[in-house]
Amino acid sequence: MSQHDQELERRARNLYLRASRDVDPVIAGRLRAARRTALARPHPSTARRLLLPAGAFAVLALATLMVWQPGGGPPSPTVVAQPGDNEPNDLPPDADSADPALYKDLQFYSWLAYNDTRPSSRK
Amino acid sequence: MEHEDAEIDDAEKAVNASLALDSASLEDLREVPATMDAFLAAIERRAWRMAEIHLGNREDALDAVQDAMLRLVHHYSDKPAGEWTPLFWGILRRRIVDLQRRRKVRSIVVGWLGGGKDDDGDELPQWEPADESPEPSARLQDSQAYADIVVALRKLPRRQREAFVLRIMEGLDVAETAAAMGCSDGSVKTHLSRAMHALRGQLEAWR
Repeated sequence: MSQHDQELERRARNLYLRASRDVDPVIAGRLRAARRTALARPHPSTARRLLLPAGAFAVLALATLMVWQPGGGPPSPTVVAQPGDNEPNDLPPDADSADPALYKDLQFYSWLAYNDTRPSSRK
Repeated sequence: MEHEDAEIDDAEKAVNASLALDSASLEDLREVPATMDAFLAAIERRAWRMAEIHLGNREDALDAVQDAMLRLVHHYSDKPAGEWTPLFWGILRRRIVDLQRRRKVRSIVVGWLGGGKDDDGDELPQWEPADESPEPSARLQDSQAYADIVVALRKLPRRQREAFVLRIMEGLDVAETAAAMGCSDGSVKTHLSRAMHALRGQLEAWR
């Protein structure tokens, strides 16, 4: 590598450094102002430190709201209807399975049914 | 290929030798201040000069430096001070490239809108933002020499210009230059070698 190349590099660098040192005062002032502006802005990592827990809290609160139902206790177990409960049986009795002897005392059973539906009369 | 590799190694040796010539000023350059304020204060004028070399416009250069400062402070303040130098130059380099691309798009749009040719069909010059400030190099003692090197650098391909400015003018080492340019050490050496070859021809008057 020639002496010329070394001289070229040295000269280019010196010119660049000198030109940087002799920057127009107006530009120098604006660079100084730009630096102060950059340094004066709040550090984002600080903001991130505050925002992250706040975001986590918001997500947690939302999840709680979605799960929690106001005024509702534990859901009541589903009542399964059993045959023979007090539900009215609208279907007529099966004639094939009915005892034929019942027909002999129809009047008695009518009386029994009538009195069974009037509990106050037994007091 | 071997010839080119040998030339690259020679270029690297020459760079190291030339850097040694100005060891005092380079030590000043490479000293990293402990605080971000001191670091930016030390680098801001050189950063503006470098942006001006690449962009050819004082206002755009100022925008690029301001943005690079903001990004360094906001994203890398927590990094060790020793890493700030390549980080800053890398940020500034990307900002300069962004501005160059934006300017190119603007030129294309102006061309579509009929700004590309005059009434006679002749090509109009590409749109450039106005720069009415007085030429700062006129204030320099070596103004003509500085203007020559800037003109020569602007004729280089972008990557070669970046390698030369960062490695030779700013005095970064190869690894720092590679980090700032986002490429390998070998690519830095190749770009630098080609830049030196081109500048040798353009700056014959410096002999």
